[in-house]
Amino acid sequence: MRRMIALTLVPAVLAAGAAPALAETTLEKIARTETLTIGTRTGSPPFAYVNSKNEWVGFSIELVEQLVLPAISQKVGKQVKLEKKESTPPTRIPLLSSNAVDLIAGTMTDTRSRRDSVDFSITFFVTGAQFLVKKGSPIKGIKNIDGKRIAAQQGSTNARIIREKAPKAQLREFPDQPAAFQALLQGQVDAYTNDGIQLAGLKLKAPNPAQWEVVGDFYSYEPYGMAMRKNDADFRNTVNGGLMDGIESGRFFEIYDKWFGPKGELPYPMSPGVRQFMTYQVVPK
Amino acid sequence: MNYNFNWSVLWTGQSGEWLWSGLLTTLELSALAWLLAAGLGILSGALRTVPFRPLRALATGYVEFFRNVPLLVWMFFWYFGVPPFLPQGAQDWLFDHGLEFWAAVCALGVYSGARFSEVLRSGIQSIPRTQFEASVASGLTTVQAYRYVILPVALRLIIPPATSESLNLLKNSSVALTISVAELTFQTRQIETYTAKAIEALTAGTVIYLVLCVSLASVMTWVERRTAIPGLITAGGRRRR
Repeated sequence: MRRMIALTLVPAVLAAGAAPALAETTLEKIARTETLTIGTRTGSPPFAYVNSKNEWVGFSIELVEQLVLPAISQKVGKQVKLEKKESTPPTRIPLLSSNAVDLIAGTMTDTRSRRDSVDFSITFFVTGAQFLVKKGSPIKGIKNIDGKRIAAQQGSTNARIIREKAPKAQLREFPDQPAAFQALLQGQVDAYTNDGIQLAGLKLKAPNPAQWEVVGDFYSYEPYGMAMRKNDADFRNTVNGGLMDGIESGRFFEIYDKWFGPKGELPYPMSPGVRQFMTYQVVPK
Repeated sequence: MNYNFNWSVLWTGQSGEWLWSGLLTTLELSALAWLLAAGLGILSGALRTVPFRPLRALATGYVEFFRNVPLLVWMFFWYFGVPPFLPQGAQDWLFDHGLEFWAAVCALGVYSGARFSEVLRSGIQSIPRTQFEASVASGLTTVQAYRYVILPVALRLIIPPATSESLNLLKNSSVALTISVAELTFQTRQIETYTAKAIEALTAGTVIYLVLCVSLASVMTWVERRTAIPGLITAGGRRRR
């Protein structure tokens, strides 16, 4: 059904392109509406998902609430409120281009080809692709998936790498995580590949977590960033400023620990290398 | 609007290849589902009008059950719901041999069949009852009356609405991407993945669907004209004489 929504975007977007371009920057739009609209996910724990209390929460969402939103409020001199919309890999760039959302804060990997279409904030999470399999599966990594049925998420960087590095694998691409995981549960596929951290999140939420394991070395590098419309430097600087302030003050690491610390939603301690990388991204005031 | 169009992504790299393979899958899927839908539609559409209550009830049950549940649910039903009832060996074989495609054919065919059935029923009911009575009076059995008199006329009468339903079927085939069938819409997303140019890719998909549907519709108009029965309402959109 989502593809219908995506297709109906086309005439709308073309019409918008034909109309005289309103020269309104993202910050001006936010100041006018007093709302920051983000596109995020509903099924990618612990970055952005609907929890058991039916609240739409997650690490990416909290970064926006705690770090980015205050920075924007300060910049426009008004209390800005947050609005969340669902965005999937195929819809997130059109949603940005059509002004439906101002910022993508989910699990979007920053890539060079995507930078042709959108701008990215500094990196806020680092992971790499692995495989989720049933315990005891012969699959141990990307080297031995030839002929195997591998599920991946449509529109993800992982599917692309599998196609290039393991062309003999039978790739099955699903539009969302729940369908791919269901296929793994029922045996339609032998493994599900996605960013390691997302697989760990999925395993944790599975009916019987001990039955599953995440295997293989990272076969890709996935730095997550927040995406926004291209060529809007003031907005991007404000978003980056909020994130940098958070890293500098340590608030960023507190939020990280809340979700990924030993007592967090999904224990995934930050390695010293990643911690250093985060602090090196911060430029002086 | 803050977007840099780059239409060249549609003819550079593997885009052409992907769109072509997506188009072929869409056509294959739609053709097979159409055959299934036409078969089921003709059978159940005819059964809904026969003078025998249990058969009418059976056909009504099929139509109401299948057309009143969303197609997306049927896709998941045939892909996730059916295999667990099969023996393990059969499951493994199916998983290795394109289960998603056949699940999509079943979902689309059985769902559209219920819709075709209603179209045919309205065609049959637009034929004066006396034709059926006259056929039976002339010595034909009920089956023969349907086979030689009622259906040949009804099928010609319903060409315009059946064309609409067939075009719906073609466009509905894109729902199959939810169970990982690499059809046309799937491939336009693929282009988006590689190039991050969603609007160009979706536009290409839109244009291909449009061309496909318009050409099918004009072929059907031609068929309608060729098979029109003088004196009946079908005129192929153009008055002759």
